[in-house]
Amino acid sequence: MNSTKNLNARERARLAAEQAAARRRDQRILISVVVAFLVVVVAGGITFQAWRTSRSPSAAPSAIAAASPVMITNGRPIPLGSADAPVTITLYEDFHCPHCADFEEEFGPTITQAQESGEARVELYPMAFIDEGSITAANAMACAAEAGFGQPYYLALFANHTLQWSDPQLIDLATKVVGSPPSEAFQTCVKRRAHADFVTSINAAADQNHVAQTPTMLINGKDVAIESLTPESLKTMITDAAQK
Amino acid sequence: MSVSPVGTFATNPRFAAIAVWASTAARLVLGGVFLVAGGLKVIDPQSSVAAVRAYRLLPSALLTIVGWGLPFAEIALGVLLLAGIATRLVAVASAVLLLVFIAAVTSAAARGLSIDCGCFGGGGDVAPGQTAYATEIVRDVGLLLLAVWLVWQPRSRLTLDRFSSERT
Repeated sequence: MNSTKNLNARERARLAAEQAAARRRDQRILISVVVAFLVVVVAGGITFQAWRTSRSPSAAPSAIAAASPVMITNGRPIPLGSADAPVTITLYEDFHCPHCADFEEEFGPTITQAQESGEARVELYPMAFIDEGSITAANAMACAAEAGFGQPYYLALFANHTLQWSDPQLIDLATKVVGSPPSEAFQTCVKRRAHADFVTSINAAADQNHVAQTPTMLINGKDVAIESLTPESLKTMITDAAQK
Repeated sequence: MSVSPVGTFATNPRFAAIAVWASTAARLVLGGVFLVAGGLKVIDPQSSVAAVRAYRLLPSALLTIVGWGLPFAEIALGVLLLAGIATRLVAVASAVLLLVFIAAVTSAAARGLSIDCGCFGGGGDVAPGQTAYATEIVRDVGLLLLAVWLVWQPRSRLTLDRFSSERT
């Protein structure tokens, strides 16, 4: 009688120990699965972003027929649009600044329209302070303006702002904008960073003009508050400035 | 035999009933915030790297890895929290991540940087008057409290896995 009781107690203890061991094992497996899940998601995510930023640029706006080459002068902005347009829109932007990409998405069409109608021209300060891609893109922007397709190249750079802007990507972008492989001169200009000094001089010029953030926009030299701006109010501002 | 007051309090059945639902809410809020915060950053890989760079804490070799990887870590933690898998373990990881965020924002404020925390996308340098360090820190501390609660009371309802949330 007593011995069966003892046996039962021993049996119960053994079962409990087994269950505890099983629980601990389950817990270890769960922890491994959770850690593996985290590692896979993070590693997969990094791989995904590496692919995303190094792929070739997507479709880009095509060149405007009447674009003409412009001179690149150190410390001076890149002119985009008709030289005798009554309104001057000054833009300070970095091609990798997230707010600039947002700005371009919201207001780019309005500005482009004003450029195409001859109402306004843009004076672009392509600043470069975010990363290496800011510098290569600003340099390529100067090369493109010099080669006569600055305006569509500018739009295409922002349309593909998530790319890291390696030399092949920048040349590929020009191919898409021009419709055929760009000139040897352009390719060399991109690869050799021909306008590196210009890019540095633009940063210095922005500093000198007390521009502390991008995007910064001025219409006929007057600072525009971008936070409260809508495409409609921008359109009105450009029209008003043209009539003065 | 001494029973700690916390033990008595925490084993009270009425407290346990409320705690389970409080934990459910904490899990869903924290998970939702992580998922949204990570999702908004994943969209723009350049700006998430720029946001990390703005803190001026990491060497340039690590900026890209952290800028690209961190949002996915947030998404993974968010998914696990919403699903209620291994809640205690995930809550510990969340608390550690939030402590890192709080330390980074505090250090940016202490060093007199003018940056946006980039907590929900964006980020980078802003004009000196446009910083919101206090709000950012208060928000992160609030989230940290939710994570700490979950470490203490991981049991909750509406989970995918009823076993795991009880012990781990």
